[in-house]
Amino acid sequence: MTNYFYVAPEQLIRDRAEFAQKGIARGRSIVAAIYDAGIVMVAENPSASLNKISEVYDRIAFAGVGKYNEFDRLREAGIRWADGTGFTYSRGDVDARALANFYAQHLGDMFTEGQKPLEVEILVAQLANHVRPTKLYRIAYEGTIVDEPRFAVLGGDAETIKARFAASEDSFEPLIVTLKNAIAALAGPERTIEVSDLEVGILEDRGNRRTFLRLSDEQVSELLR
Amino acid sequence: MGLPLFRAQDDPGPSFFHFAEIAGLTAPNSPSDLSSPHATTVIAVRYDHGVVMVGDRQATSNYIASRDVRKIEAADRFTALAISGTAARGMEFIRMAQLSFEHYEKMTDTALSLEGKANYLSPIIQRNNLSSPLVVLPLLAGWDLSHHVGRIFEYDGAGGCYERFDFSTIGSGSPFAESTLRLGYHADLELDGALDLGALAIYEAGDNDPSTGGPDFVRNIYPMMVTISADGFQELTQEDVANRFRVINERRTQSGGVAGGSLR
Repeated sequence: MTNYFYVAPEQLIRDRAEFAQKGIARGRSIVAAIYDAGIVMVAENPSASLNKISEVYDRIAFAGVGKYNEFDRLREAGIRWADGTGFTYSRGDVDARALANFYAQHLGDMFTEGQKPLEVEILVAQLANHVRPTKLYRIAYEGTIVDEPRFAVLGGDAETIKARFAASEDSFEPLIVTLKNAIAALAGPERTIEVSDLEVGILEDRGNRRTFLRLSDEQVSELLR
Repeated sequence: MGLPLFRAQDDPGPSFFHFAEIAGLTAPNSPSDLSSPHATTVIAVRYDHGVVMVGDRQATSNYIASRDVRKIEAADRFTALAISGTAARGMEFIRMAQLSFEHYEKMTDTALSLEGKANYLSPIIQRNNLSSPLVVLPLLAGWDLSHHVGRIFEYDGAGGCYERFDFSTIGSGSPFAESTLRLGYHADLELDGALDLGALAIYEAGDNDPSTGGPDFVRNIYPMMVTISADGFQELTQEDVANRFRVINERRTQSGGVAGGSLR
């Protein structure tokens, strides 16, 4: 005969949160920041092909930390949602806030009802146009959604990295400056990160419909020089 | 639409068309043979460094429905897609193709090969044409980034995809455009020669086929001319196009409306 033990709901939530946090803390972090002409996302990622940062739509990007298969599935769902919405209505009707809300609901559902909570933390970034504002929506494993005003840090060591970045930058700077600050904040005082271990993507108006650009190692080195 | 999450075994992969079908975003095909505007005559010619495409601007039902339709669109930076047949289905087809190529690129972080794009369209055409009288026939031309060559792919009504190594035509003015291309094409055609030959082919189609619009000097509407090369999809300026058609028109006026025994 199986014995069922009573577990207080508070305890259950704490256990689940701890489980998710542990999973997320195992991976490397991401800094996303608004600069004077766009948004830059910097991830520490030794893999050149398993991306953490991705284009979603003309002015929307995605970043995720934690378990790769889990956030990559969310990334794919986001691209499908955006392309499907744009196909049904128009390209201008695709809004990052709606997508961020769907992500938050799904993560919330998985946290309370799933077999296990998703071990991910994700970011939906939107570059402003004449009708929508520039936004950084950070969504945590349990579905909490935060609208970050200037920059967002995802991942295990978020508080420390956040403090370092906040100390280095208090207004919107050019890309070169923000990129350097973001990398320094990720690395910390004792460490330098090789350019080959960085994944960098930007959202910036360059006269095209699609504003996302993945920066190559050469482009990053050039900017850091 | 909610967040489209799939289990691994049901996942439609990077194909937007398959996802759209699952999600119910595509219109169901109906056998209604409602008369709707048709779009007609586009040609593609290969030259030494790419492909030239020229298309007329007229949509026709029982009357001229529109005089300034754009039947050639950039499917992405290095691919052009043109349509003939039912205009409504054609426009939807172009939108689906554009979105599909971009969707694949975003999902996989790699661009589809030109051949991949050509093959991808086959079942979409087949599904439309074999289940509806609102037939659409596209023409695909692109710069192949891995082989550094311009390529043309044409389709039959059932979706069969065939590569053409010289030129191709679609639409109701095809017989006239095709004849012109057959007589004027040669293997070492350069850009300027290909543009002039393409313009002449559309001029002939517009002259002989009631559903194809020729140059409209009164309204200043001219056929659309594009090139697809290593520099990507580029459209000729209206001025450039107008001049090419003015030259043909001038020659034709002098010869009293006949080609004069040679291609001119």
